[in-house]
Amino acid sequence: MEMVTHRIKIRAFGMIAEKLGADCLDLDSIPTTEVLRGYLYQQFPELEKMKFGIAINKKLVSGNQPIPNEAEVALLPPFSGG
Amino acid sequence: MEKHRKPKNIFVEGPISPEKIAKSIANHSSKTDIGGHSIFLGQVRADEKEGGTVQAIVYTAYEDMALEKAFEIREAIFEKYPLTCMHIYHSLGEVKTGEICLFVFTSSKHRKAAIDACEELVERIKKELPIWGKELVDNEKEVWKENT
Repeated sequence: MEMVTHRIKIRAFGMIAEKLGADCLDLDSIPTTEVLRGYLYQQFPELEKMKFGIAINKKLVSGNQPIPNEAEVALLPPFSGG
Repeated sequence: MEKHRKPKNIFVEGPISPEKIAKSIANHSSKTDIGGHSIFLGQVRADEKEGGTVQAIVYTAYEDMALEKAFEIREAIFEKYPLTCMHIYHSLGEVKTGEICLFVFTSSKHRKAAIDACEELVERIKKELPIWGKELVDNEKEVWKENT
């Protein structure tokens, strides 16, 4: 039996969602935002050239941050409301 | 007495109609301590882009986060300026050129608070709310906007 201890939900928006080809992704064993960026750049090389912020449970974070289990992690390209 | 405020929905599906704006103004006639209103209306502009003219903007948002953030901004602005009222509406979905996509409305006893608060709100909304606009250009090209 496989044990998965750390699971997160990724939500993508704007042009990031277009590059991912999805609004949502479920990922296992991604403990920090740095690991997440590494994983995304490897899976979706185009993202490396794009600017995007990361929000953990709806709060924007900067630098390398731990990602709690069951967190909702959002990939946010530059805002353009208004 | 401290007023208790709860997060309000700011999103409107499609353009914000002039009727909604007129009604919102009319709703304040009973609040006779107000001496000045300030209103900002964002309108979709027909920018010239590579390959054509912008026809519309399609807005999407990370709604939960945007509402939390809008609430935080609202509280900060109420704290900073002596306002009587504050209203924020932003479109989601398609808004054609010439139509209204953002409506910010502040009211106060004296004009300066309403004017300054309205300006600061607009700046913070554009900078801090997770909302994205995709411009539709007439040859069916799509261009993601970016606020500066």
